[in-house]
Amino acid sequence: MYDNDFRWFGPNASAILRPIGMTVVPMLDLSGRNNTRFGDSLLPEPQGKRIDLLDPFVVAQLGGIELVARGIVEGFLAGSHKSPFPGFSVEFTEDRPYQPGDELRYLDWKMLARSDRLFVKQFEEETNLRAMLVLDISASMDWSGAEHRLSKLSYAKQLVAAISLVLLRQRDATGLIAFDDEVRSVVRAGARSNHWWTLARVVQEITPGRGTAAEPALRQVTDLLRRRGLVVFVSDLLFDSRLVLRALHFLRHRGHQVIVLHIMDPAELNLEGPPEARFEDPESGTFVTARPRELRAVYEETVHNTIESWRSDCRSGGIHYHHVLTNTPFGQVLRRVAARRSQLA
Amino acid sequence: MIGFLQPLALLALVAAAIPALLHLLGRRLPPTVVFPAVKYLTATEREHSRRLRFRNLLLLILRTAVIVCIVLAASRPFVRTGTGVAHPPTAVALVVDNSLSSAAVLEGHRTLDTIIATARQVIARTATGDRLWLVLADGLPLRKTRLEAIEVLDSLEPSNMRLDLGTAARAAARAILEDPLPNGPVVVVSDLQATAFSPGESPATRVLLWAPPARPKNRWLDSVYSQPEIWTPTGSVVAVVGGSSERPVTLRLRAEGMELARALASPGDRVVLSGALRNPGWTVASVELDSDEMRADDIRKIALLRAEPVAVAMATEVGDFLVEAVSVLQQGGRATSGDRVSLGHFAQAGTSVVFPPSDPAMVGALNRTLNMRGVTWEFRDVRQGEWTLSDQSGIADGIEVYRRYGLSGTGDIFADIDGEPWLVRSGNVVLVASRLEPEWTRLPVSAFFVPFVDYLINRIAAEESWIVTASPGDVVELPATARTMDGTQSAPVTAVPGNHRIVAPLHTGVYFLHSASSDTVGALEVFSDVRESQLQVADENQVRTVFGDDARVLESDQLLSSLFSGEGRINVASLFLMLALAAAVGEFLVASSGGRKRTAV
Repeated sequence: MYDNDFRWFGPNASAILRPIGMTVVPMLDLSGRNNTRFGDSLLPEPQGKRIDLLDPFVVAQLGGIELVARGIVEGFLAGSHKSPFPGFSVEFTEDRPYQPGDELRYLDWKMLARSDRLFVKQFEEETNLRAMLVLDISASMDWSGAEHRLSKLSYAKQLVAAISLVLLRQRDATGLIAFDDEVRSVVRAGARSNHWWTLARVVQEITPGRGTAAEPALRQVTDLLRRRGLVVFVSDLLFDSRLVLRALHFLRHRGHQVIVLHIMDPAELNLEGPPEARFEDPESGTFVTARPRELRAVYEETVHNTIESWRSDCRSGGIHYHHVLTNTPFGQVLRRVAARRSQLA
Repeated sequence: MIGFLQPLALLALVAAAIPALLHLLGRRLPPTVVFPAVKYLTATEREHSRRLRFRNLLLLILRTAVIVCIVLAASRPFVRTGTGVAHPPTAVALVVDNSLSSAAVLEGHRTLDTIIATARQVIARTATGDRLWLVLADGLPLRKTRLEAIEVLDSLEPSNMRLDLGTAARAAARAILEDPLPNGPVVVVSDLQATAFSPGESPATRVLLWAPPARPKNRWLDSVYSQPEIWTPTGSVVAVVGGSSERPVTLRLRAEGMELARALASPGDRVVLSGALRNPGWTVASVELDSDEMRADDIRKIALLRAEPVAVAMATEVGDFLVEAVSVLQQGGRATSGDRVSLGHFAQAGTSVVFPPSDPAMVGALNRTLNMRGVTWEFRDVRQGEWTLSDQSGIADGIEVYRRYGLSGTGDIFADIDGEPWLVRSGNVVLVASRLEPEWTRLPVSAFFVPFVDYLINRIAAEESWIVTASPGDVVELPATARTMDGTQSAPVTAVPGNHRIVAPLHTGVYFLHSASSDTVGALEVFSDVRESQLQVADENQVRTVFGDDARVLESDQLLSSLFSGEGRINVASLFLMLALAAAVGEFLVASSGGRKRTAV
């Protein structure tokens, strides 16, 4: 299944990676289930740099989202001896009406006894966890504060792809909801071997949306995760926090583990710009005329208070909150999230 | 009240609009920046807009204040203080009236002492950097230091000179106006006699006046003169008493060490004091009033001459009018028959008065005779017409002349017609260009004829009794025959200049005049100006008329307090600089307060 994973590097892989301290070396399937040699893969040299700890912008230049995500995950998983996202066993998914040709052994006899109707049990592959990644693709996410820095959306997409790959590598069913002012894309949670490619393709094809309405997306998570699972909410949180927090708390109340990744560009921490400027909101089009030098201190204080407010509100509801700057190496983020979650698990 | 030494610098206050203009210019549409975290910015603005507005307003005020304070400091501002104790270097004029009237005594104190005490206080209020112009009775502004001025005041005595306060104040004002220092006031400390206020243009500076609170009543000798001028040996002195008191006062005439006459007189009375001189020649007499609070004008000295009348010999052809006039003089004791002075057409030996002959053919012989006697004048052609006589004595001045001879030569000229000599003298020969007959001149038929003949005989021909009166410091013209004059103890003899004009001595008294042969030919009587004796104080209208509407007569305290009012200044430039510095520091603190906090996330 991984035979073609690194086809993107091709014969020039070494030439691309060498300038950033990487070399192409043979590697094994880290899942442990397929130890056949399937080609060149990325592993850091002992004295070299790991791709998951590089500048995200540099990492993003290496190739498509699938390739980059895999490189990140492989770097992240190097040296890991246990699942970073421990979950719980789930196999049955749903019943569906019997159709001729279905194997009888999958008939749901109990349903037949209760309702006198034929239903066939449907099973997912055995997974440890069901996870939904909720990605904010609103217009505010499509912004970068510097030329050589990923936009929040690009960063979030890479991060979502990497997290989903990690989850799928440990055979956790993983789904995706992308939303702006409405739900744009939905990928049901799955753990099949090619599910990540589906997710990666969807993530790759995501384009920036318009406004932000996270609550409907989170409500839809409720529908999609009927059993207790993991919800990873990736957003810049530039919306009304009350409704979203209520939805997140509801998810937590339903027994889901919830992780909030607050994506923020470093330029949003500090107010910079010309002596006076009209700061325009890309979503609403509203603007505020301000002088950065005058507002810098109080702005920073406001941002700081907002972050602390999110952190506090999330902590009070048992939600894992992580403030993520877009210049933070992906591996650090994965490690922080994984460590926190392992601790809780 | 605040003032500025360099007010033009205030034009730079326009720069105070720079912060506001920059603010307004800065209000142009700023560039648009896409910024997703507008939510935070909006919250920031919402929470801090009031503080930001206040901060911006405060910054605007502070920046404007910095500019304003710097500009004001550059304009060299000062604050006028009422007391004037602290004031910038100022030119001040102090007119100290030590004229004769300051010798008046009131309640045991001389007016001058009170004036000096006030003047000292004025000097004490001046500062070391001030420039002091001191004006005394002579009316001349002299620049003095404080110490020199005090020394002058220490030795100051009443002067016999008259001080015209108007003239003195104007001279003082000119002095301080020409002084490079800022102009201060002209301070006049005086008894403010009404007679000392001569009208004229008001001084161009502030005038402060002070006067003693009360003035004594005074009596004085308004005029004193001898009648006749030559005593034979008897004579009289006529005295006119001035003053406001109606109480009679004793009047005494003293001469030759004794009292010649005594009389009672009230102010306004004209008293004739008669007596006789024992010794021939000149003597000094004095007319004295009973002493009052102003002693200096209670005595006046005059010159008296005891001599025999002039003996006159006349030729028959001099004309009836002249004969009758001499006869009148003889009857009045002003002349006798004799040969001391001869009147006629031919110069006799001795003193002669020569008239032109009625026959023009005789002129040549007359001129030869005159030439033989060494006379430098001679008669020329006869002329007819109508001219007006110009007589130095004033007796025959303006009298018409119809016929006259031309006179050529050099010597003393006593009367002329349009600049051509008419009455001249050379040695002891006097020449008259016209006969004293009605066909030649209107003089014989005028009322001035007898006095003119008296003048001609006694003054010009006999050179008697030239008595000139003057006040101290006046410019006076002495007789042409005077070559020297009695002086003071330090300089007993004073030479008379060639133009016969001198400045009358400052000490009152009698100064005899002497000819080249040391004969006494007259006397200069110097006595104080009677206007100094009139102690009446000028009223406010008179003060304003002379010194301007702003002039005020002040009490001592008022004078000292208002002395430098307006000039009392405190330099506040440093204060404005400190304010500018404080505003700049405040601006820095306020401006930097927006970037001090850093939040670590």
